[in-house]
Amino acid sequence: MLERKNNGFRKPGKPFYFNTSEHLLRIGRQKAHTLAELLEALETCPDDCIFQHTFRTLQEHHFIRQGFSNDFAHWSITACHEPALAEQLASLDVRDFTSLDSLRGRVTEIVGEFLSEHPASGPRTAHEPFYFCASELVVLPTAFVADSVASFIEGLKQVPVHSIHHHFIEARLRLHLMSNDFSQWLEEEAGLKEAGERFERIDIYANTMEGVRQLMTLILEQAAQ
Amino acid sequence: MKTLENETVENADIVEAKPSGSAVRAADGKGERRLPASVLTPPAPPPPPHLDDYASIIGQGQVDALRFLARELKGKTIQMVNSTSVGGGVAEILNRLVPLLSELEVPTSWDVITGGNDFFEVTKAFHNALHGSPYELTEAARQIFLMYNEQNRERMQFDADMVVIHDPQPVGLVRSKEKGSAHWVWRCHIDLSNPNQQVWEFLRPFVDQYDAAIFSSQSFARQLPIPQYLFYPSIDPLSEKNKDLEESVVQKVCDEFGIDRSRPIVTQVSRFDRLKDPVGVVHAYKLAKKYVDCQLVLAGGGASDDPEGAAVLQEVKEAAGNDPDIIVLDLPPWCALEINAIQRASTLVVQKSLREGFGLTLTEALWKGKPTIAGAVGGIPNQIIHKLTGVLVHSVEGCAFQIRYLLTHPEFARRIGTSGREHVKENFLITTNVKRWLLLGRLLQKS
Repeated sequence: MLERKNNGFRKPGKPFYFNTSEHLLRIGRQKAHTLAELLEALETCPDDCIFQHTFRTLQEHHFIRQGFSNDFAHWSITACHEPALAEQLASLDVRDFTSLDSLRGRVTEIVGEFLSEHPASGPRTAHEPFYFCASELVVLPTAFVADSVASFIEGLKQVPVHSIHHHFIEARLRLHLMSNDFSQWLEEEAGLKEAGERFERIDIYANTMEGVRQLMTLILEQAAQ
Repeated sequence: MKTLENETVENADIVEAKPSGSAVRAADGKGERRLPASVLTPPAPPPPPHLDDYASIIGQGQVDALRFLARELKGKTIQMVNSTSVGGGVAEILNRLVPLLSELEVPTSWDVITGGNDFFEVTKAFHNALHGSPYELTEAARQIFLMYNEQNRERMQFDADMVVIHDPQPVGLVRSKEKGSAHWVWRCHIDLSNPNQQVWEFLRPFVDQYDAAIFSSQSFARQLPIPQYLFYPSIDPLSEKNKDLEESVVQKVCDEFGIDRSRPIVTQVSRFDRLKDPVGVVHAYKLAKKYVDCQLVLAGGGASDDPEGAAVLQEVKEAAGNDPDIIVLDLPPWCALEINAIQRASTLVVQKSLREGFGLTLTEALWKGKPTIAGAVGGIPNQIIHKLTGVLVHSVEGCAFQIRYLLTHPEFARRIGTSGREHVKENFLITTNVKRWLLLGRLLQKS
């Protein structure tokens, strides 16, 4: 069925190479015992710490459907018992940012504004410290290369879930665009602009990464009909 | 109170399984029986699995990723050094890690240092002191430590591309490190968050000479001049303790130990050690039992060869009293299959530690998809994300409440159990450990 319908698709100009990424966790030198210390460290920590505690932690916890957004939100609720702050931090969508600098700016702004409104919360000692860590990232190829929409769907179904994260979420930091590798390829190479746009509307925080994979597959199979 | 083997006992309904084959009481307290022969002697170890055997668990893509990562290190050698070849979590991990790395064409060897009783008495004291116990470091202890490290250093050869020294016992071997040669890595498996300062200050000059240090939790790391990495301890999903079991095997083990599978089973698997708080678990169970029907299984070891363990076991028995639903099993160390079956039969698993580097038995329970309750100490919060992959507690009362809650909310229990298994699959399997070593090897090679 799909093969027959694929005849109607434009032959992709370039193949899609499915890659994946693996990370080694480096323990940083900074730690925060209070929200005030967190704010201070947020302003000075290396970019790869911001990456680890937002983008990367999402990959580590890709199997959780709800309640996990980023390490800053998690620490705010579990160690600082500040649900209002945690809620604000948890509402951050990493896909709204194309650079770590802008993401750092937003996290800092949220914590800063909260502490301005709740100055007593700043020096209160957390139940456990926040340890800043960083990612050492290695990009690897997978066995999958797509030269048609059908083989793209097949690759999408079979690549490791880290590959989905790599192309769909981390890609923004490489592309510096409000898009992702999959949507870019679908739009530019396969002429599937609408499918690419629908990919962008998938809620990564209300789905596991396996769920994201299934939704993507569904979108493409619908496009093929 | 019943009389058994010419001995007056208070706790007549506790099943205390002994490896010696002595008579033990049945769960129903009606008679005596001997342990099955299968648990009296160690079984022959099965051959270690190959990398491809893990594809059905982690996916072929992950196996491919390991092979790709290893390609850049092909032919590079790794030498692991620790202080024991049997017993303990480190030896258990190395037993699997070494053949898997070698299969990936990263030839990996494993050497064990030697020492007299005096050396191991000192290093045991160091171990406890680094966990925060009071200790006065004497000049004699320093000399014993240095002498054995020097003896081993002279005896051993260090010609690998990466030399990995595990834990404090062999830390002094780093004096063999030459400038520009191999990369030396210190893998610290213990909790250094609150070390005895005398011991730490004595060891630290050695640690500073390494190229990198690895800890099991970010909270265990120290301020060091070298890069520090986080490697979680791992379990092998294909080992006797974790492999899938036929339902009939689980049932057989439960029958042998008098565990009633028709009623909820709450289990803690741990050594009889005060830091594991088995008495606290008994109290939590008793508080919960006012509201929910359940049995408590405390399965572990350490009571037969450790005077403190025997004392803790006695405390557990006293706390248990005459409750026929408390089943205490003092098992020999080779009962991996039995532990596996008990964990699989459990409705929920508790690890109410008061201090814990990293709860490997907790990881085992998570891997089996069991809802878990654990003390929020040490490395455990890395394993349990509260209410997402398990629940964390800070007290006996908190533990009791969570037992009640999980037993009466099976859908929530099932959900955290499922996420807990995924958490292990992502972070705590031996294959992830292999990946971390390969990533570190690549990183050091480029540095």
